[in-house]
Amino acid sequence: MSSPGDSRRTTARRRETALFLLAVPALLLLGIIFAWPVLRLLAMSVEDGTLANFEKATLDELYLYVLFDSVKIAAMVMAICLLVAYPVAFWLSRAGRWGVALGMFALLLPFWTSVLVRTYAWLVLLGRNGVVNRWLRDAGLIDAPLPLLHNTSGVLIGMVHVLLPYMVFPIYASLLRIDPDLSRAAEGLGAPAWRSFLRVTFPLSLPGVSAGCALVFVLSLGFFITPALLGGGRVIMVSMLIEQQVREFLDWPFAAALSTVLLVATLAIYALIGRITRGARHA
Amino acid sequence: MTILTNRRGLLRAAGGIATAGLPLPAFAQGSPPPKPDRIVVNASGGGMATQLRRSYFAEFERLHGIRVVDTSPVDFGKLRAMVTSGNPEWTVTEIGGQDVDRAKELNLLEPIDTSIVDLSRYPAAGRNSHAFIGSAYSTVLGFRSDVFRDGSHPKGWAEFWDVRRFPGARSLRNHPVDNLEFALLADGVPMDQIYPIDMDRAFRKLDEIRPHISVWWSTGAQPAQMLVDREVVLATGWNGRFFELARRNAPVGSEFMQGSLKSSAYGIPRGTRQAYWGQQLFQVMTNPRLQAMYATELSYAGLHPDTASFVAEDIRPLLPTAPVNLERQFWLNVGWWTENGARAQERWNRWMLQRG
Amino acid sequence: MELSVKGIVRRFGPVTALGGVDLDVAEGEFLTILGPSGSGKTTLLKTVAGFEIPDEGRVLLGGEDVTLAPPRRRDVGMVFQNYALFPHMSVAQNVAFPLEMRRRPRDEVKRRVIEALRLVELEGYGDRLPRQLSGGQQQRVALARAVVFGPRLLLLDEPFGALDRKLRESLQLEVRRLQRQLRLTTLFITHDQEEALIMSDRIAVMDKGRIEQVGAPGDLYAHPATRFVADFLGESNLLDGSASAGHAAIPGFGAVPLPAGQPDGGVTLLLRPEALRIAADAAAMPCRGQGKVLETVFLGQSAKLRMALDGGGEVLARLPLRPSDPPPAREGETVAVGFAPEDLHVVPRG
Ligand SMILES: Nc1ncnc2c1ncn2[C@@H]1O[C@H](COP(=O)(O)OP(=O)(O)OP(=O)(O)O)[C@@H](O)[C@H]1O
Ligand SMILES: [Mg+2]
Repeated sequence: MSSPGDSRRTTARRRETALFLLAVPALLLLGIIFAWPVLRLLAMSVEDGTLANFEKATLDELYLYVLFDSVKIAAMVMAICLLVAYPVAFWLSRAGRWGVALGMFALLLPFWTSVLVRTYAWLVLLGRNGVVNRWLRDAGLIDAPLPLLHNTSGVLIGMVHVLLPYMVFPIYASLLRIDPDLSRAAEGLGAPAWRSFLRVTFPLSLPGVSAGCALVFVLSLGFFITPALLGGGRVIMVSMLIEQQVREFLDWPFAAALSTVLLVATLAIYALIGRITRGARHA
Repeated sequence: MTILTNRRGLLRAAGGIATAGLPLPAFAQGSPPPKPDRIVVNASGGGMATQLRRSYFAEFERLHGIRVVDTSPVDFGKLRAMVTSGNPEWTVTEIGGQDVDRAKELNLLEPIDTSIVDLSRYPAAGRNSHAFIGSAYSTVLGFRSDVFRDGSHPKGWAEFWDVRRFPGARSLRNHPVDNLEFALLADGVPMDQIYPIDMDRAFRKLDEIRPHISVWWSTGAQPAQMLVDREVVLATGWNGRFFELARRNAPVGSEFMQGSLKSSAYGIPRGTRQAYWGQQLFQVMTNPRLQAMYATELSYAGLHPDTASFVAEDIRPLLPTAPVNLERQFWLNVGWWTENGARAQERWNRWMLQRG
Repeated sequence: MELSVKGIVRRFGPVTALGGVDLDVAEGEFLTILGPSGSGKTTLLKTVAGFEIPDEGRVLLGGEDVTLAPPRRRDVGMVFQNYALFPHMSVAQNVAFPLEMRRRPRDEVKRRVIEALRLVELEGYGDRLPRQLSGGQQQRVALARAVVFGPRLLLLDEPFGALDRKLRESLQLEVRRLQRQLRLTTLFITHDQEEALIMSDRIAVMDKGRIEQVGAPGDLYAHPATRFVADFLGESNLLDGSASAGHAAIPGFGAVPLPAGQPDGGVTLLLRPEALRIAADAAAMPCRGQGKVLETVFLGQSAKLRMALDGGGEVLARLPLRPSDPPPAREGETVAVGFAPEDLHVVPRG
């Protein structure tokens, strides 16, 4: 027995199915360019039929330590990027045409040079006898050069510089999407500028913040040139170890196990970021 | 691995029988295979790429009318991936010295065709069944010549380790290769008794120098740049990088004493379609006059015995292959590293992570 | 006066959005600003709310000069053209917002939010998000939010612009009811003359950054001060002629008598379409002509006719209809047309 209502629901469902079919090519593409390599990776990591590679990647003190350290550095890069990028994005979203052009230019300028060149530029700027230390010394602010390079701070500076645009643009985009009448409404309803920002503008920009954080975090975990050069050997990222395994020792199964562990850690943190920002939005 | 070689052997044998009555492929009868419009040569890039082009590629293009496209960087993992997936994009690729044996073992390279590449006058160190030895280079000791004037710089690794007599910040490569050898030499091991490396002893010696290493470098440009910037006063580095600084009159000198010699090798990825033209490129690269041109610019000397005679006299002592330098250095034992590299690297990583 | 706007000028580069605006709104009054798109209505409202600082002139609220005061110090409730509800806050949170900004105690906030939602007939919708509401419901939330804190002035910027006709009409009445109930001084913006006529105590007609005329709806309709007002407010026939000795010569109608004291020379006369009669009905009219019917439109209670006058020019006539009436004329037919001279209004030239 089918009532007319039933057949209508069926039609509606059929329509949804048709819409879903439209998405199939995209899903297939995603499957091919994303899921397939991941599966290959997993398969490779257990190639020898045991979990020995995973045991080593997750239990060995060396790899655990490096993984933890990498996540810590990526989190710090993300946090610094956020602190620097938000005001920049906010300013850009309020700036006039020329301000935006100038800001975009300044932000995109680094993209015209390779990561390697940018990183070398920091070597020149931040070195013991680099521009920054010379200025500070000439200004009488310091006696001995500050150790800005070849340690964690160097890595952070270099990575923040490279990754800053990835944080600015999503936030900028989400700020632009906010109807300017909303903050006007808030002010008209009695909110001082800062409260209007905290209650309205900021929560509404959280999707951008979340996207920027995820992007910067994930990209940070994949960096190895910048930390290798600016860390002076004192900062080891998982990505560096993976690269070592792939390129030098051809131990792809172990590299695959390391990558899988990294992927899982990344996804976990990604989910965490999403959860925190969603929570903050409706707080 | 053995199964694979066996099967190839069988196939080859079968092919031999099957083709006995058939016409042979064109190039086997003496006329070369059709010319592609280009071949791809993968090497280290940078100044080296420029010089490869000036010395060798230009001549190859002139001789054969085939364009040479260069790519970088050298990447052993990529080589393996290319060969495994078939149809390698590279016609020729540079191979890090330690990797030649492994590449051979993994069957990643076409054999060198000595009917095309004339190695008859090459020394034994310059011949390899599957790799063409392009040049030799060395990891040497670089120093600020304005800090250590008139030959007062450290000579050998015991002196590099002596921070009291030779004060100042230092830099070593963030890698066990060379460093383990240098540590043993610093600890008094004679050059001919380095191998097999006693890792415990080497790392103990490295513990001593660690507090004085301000930077563990990871790319070849770093030590040169850091010496120029006075970030450090002593550093290990590849002789070509220091040579380049000396030619630009930077206050940087280099010392060959106890340097670590290696050869830079090129191979043809197995299965590449232009293999024949790769062999032809190698033949061009055996020309001692071209090798001299290359050495004059980079100090990486080819192994043809006549090369030195085409190099200007003032440059000859700066070549790692100059007789006076050869006897003061040692050849890195590639076999030991192929065997123990992964273990040494893992220990190195652990050692780097012990903060101090 | 609750609100006084004096000599406001606002320029955006080469555009003069407001070119010297004076306006007074009395306490409890519902004043509508009516004008075509781009005439400066929103700019004027924003100046009153404090989102725009005028280049010249002053804004007085309850006698106090607030020209430079920030919006939050003005105690003005505003409903934006697109509602401007906070999309991440529930309906209740939206309505509570102005109270929280005023640091009202928690239980008072709760009570007043419920009251305000009841006022706009949205009890029980407090936990929904704005996007889960219909356009009309969103509109009412915006209204509740604008009045919940007891503002001394309510500003409404084309609040019904995006709604369908039915909803518009019911909301028009609701807003008017609310305004009367709360005795709110209200400044209302619309470009819909019908809406203005229905809702307002007084209407200010704006054009090109200036106020053309302010007055009660009936007054404006019957006695427009300018050609623009005559044209914009309701349908109109504007007849140009020349006056001499108390009469005006109008093409198609000949000489018609003018009100006393009208000087000689060019004159523009307003004749509302409903003042015209045709065919047999025209016979009783003192001023007559004839013309060909170009088009008839049936409107239910009336019919609209466009006619070409024999003496040149076109007029529009609106004829009342009873359900049993036959069509007043066929298209293409030539009929008599006439009106009474006292229905003529002389539009001042300026
Ligand atoms: N921020 C601004 N920058 C430049 N020009 C502006 C700005 N705001 C308004 N204008 C201009 O001022 C004039 C009046 O604009 P306003 O928004 O007040 O018109 P409006 O009467 O509200 O029109 P609508 O009915 O379409 O909403 C327009 O010509 C507009 O282009
Ligand atoms: Mg407007």
